[in-house]
Amino acid sequence: MAQMWITMGPQHPMTHGLWTLRVKVDGETVVDTEAELGYIHRGVEKIAEARDFTQVTPYCDRLCYVSAMTWANSYIYAAEDLLEVEVPERAEFIRLIAAELQRLASHLMWLGAFGPDIGNLTLMTWCMRDREMFLDLLQELGGSRMHYNYPRIGGVKRDLPVGFADRARAKIKLFENRIDEYEMMLDESTIWLVRLQGVGYAQAEDMVNAGVSGPNVRAAGVNYDVRWAHPYSVYDQVDWEPAVEKPTSIKGADCYDRYRVRMEEMRQSCRMVLDALEKIPGGANTHYNTGDEMIITKAPTRAPEGASGFSNYECTRGASQFYIQGGGDGRGKNPYRLSIRSPMFITIPYVAKTMIGYKVADIPAIMGSFDPCIGETDR
Amino acid sequence: MGMSISSEQNAAAASVFAEQVESQFGGSGVTVSVEHHSNAVKYAFVRMTCPPQHWIAVAKWLRFDGGVNYCSMITGTHYPEGNDRGWGVVYHFLRQPVRDVEPFTADVLEANALEGISIPLELEVLIDLPAGDAPVVPSVQSIWVGADWNEKETWDLVGIRFEGHQNMHRVLNPHDSPEGFHPLQKQHQIRYHDFNEMYDDAQGFVRKPADEGRVK
Repeated sequence: MAQMWITMGPQHPMTHGLWTLRVKVDGETVVDTEAELGYIHRGVEKIAEARDFTQVTPYCDRLCYVSAMTWANSYIYAAEDLLEVEVPERAEFIRLIAAELQRLASHLMWLGAFGPDIGNLTLMTWCMRDREMFLDLLQELGGSRMHYNYPRIGGVKRDLPVGFADRARAKIKLFENRIDEYEMMLDESTIWLVRLQGVGYAQAEDMVNAGVSGPNVRAAGVNYDVRWAHPYSVYDQVDWEPAVEKPTSIKGADCYDRYRVRMEEMRQSCRMVLDALEKIPGGANTHYNTGDEMIITKAPTRAPEGASGFSNYECTRGASQFYIQGGGDGRGKNPYRLSIRSPMFITIPYVAKTMIGYKVADIPAIMGSFDPCIGETDR
Repeated sequence: MGMSISSEQNAAAASVFAEQVESQFGGSGVTVSVEHHSNAVKYAFVRMTCPPQHWIAVAKWLRFDGGVNYCSMITGTHYPEGNDRGWGVVYHFLRQPVRDVEPFTADVLEANALEGISIPLELEVLIDLPAGDAPVVPSVQSIWVGADWNEKETWDLVGIRFEGHQNMHRVLNPHDSPEGFHPLQKQHQIRYHDFNEMYDDAQGFVRKPADEGRVK
């Protein structure tokens, strides 16, 4: 049969998260692919050059609309490296709690979107129900459901609200049971297993060479995690271990392994939040006023020319990195150059190539299992 | 906890790596130093500068002898007012102890037991390029696969040409962008425009005919 190129994915300015996958097919088999990105390129890096350091945070929230907290944190760590700020330990704990709650919400969004990809429509409604619990918690911190603008250079905007710890514990206890419930439902579903097992193999060394990171690499049996390898916050003080999945083939991790590793990561996030609420300096039930030195410290607003800041952060989809050069407009008030490394920008071209050899019907399963997010990809 | 890589382990690995680079490339214009991040965790990393003509040799050594297996980010910068440099390229690399594992096993890495090139490390390589209209740096696409799309992005947004890069094309800007248009170059000014400016023709956009008679 003749080979032909087909184009997947609807492109319309109204829809969100756009990208094109051009697939060359021979009958039902994929023989070549090409990823097209850039449909929602907003030019955040250029905009940041005309904003001062505090004004950049909301833009970083909007890089990824399902894990805004981790992206804002990632920027904040780079800015603190540039401006030489030391954060109070209580603020670090609060950021850790916020980031792990965000990771839970993001992975639930992933699972909820991945279910319909595979043909399990009910999963979407269940995951959205549970995600709401964590969005409520994040709303208590930041004031809104998606874009929080919560971390500040030098600390956090507000302390944990009164009663937050109890509500968080109750919700996490409930959710830990729900993870078991989902696993029971999915791991015994024949459709789920048939669609995922033996599909979309990716090897660890290949992935690292291609720049893939995060849960996708850990699914291939390697416990490399930025929180473990380059501890940036107080991750070395709380009780957790990187989620690692054992691959079942020499060909590496398949879609099923990538699903399993994210389920395990949600358990680890629950464990981290519970432990951090116990260990937080000052106690989780104490409420310090906004601006108290327990939760925020004074930070300079200008950075000299030649100074640079870098952060390497375990975002929900892999290692997100920021590189900032100081000495921009306004006598150093703005960044001279802000560079964003999005894990998905590197991963999507790699995933497009892993599809070669599989059927067209496997494309949603393979793509979905890598958890793509176009907001951060196109920046 | 003792579970994560400790600062001491990291600082020792960074200084060993810096010594190796120094003994390999000392005197050829390659400089290397051990720096520390200045935020709350004073984590060590290696900073190198490299002249563009030696970059391929240095990159090959980093990849195949230094164990630097992960090209995470490439940043291009335009310095229109720089005296000695017109452009800068900054590479960020990571050294990761990641390897393929046998089926049904997981490579559980004990942080305390790691040694030598297995210890994770951050690496920053700065390459300064002379002023001019056509900055060129050798491509490392064939050394790290992960550099491929990073280089495409850097050319697309900043306009630094990577010599030897196969299949270079626009990735974030539209494919039909004018040749030589690279928005992160500093001659493209970003500015605020107010409401009125957006709706009269000050920006040079011609209104669509359907909008002509409409009162905004």
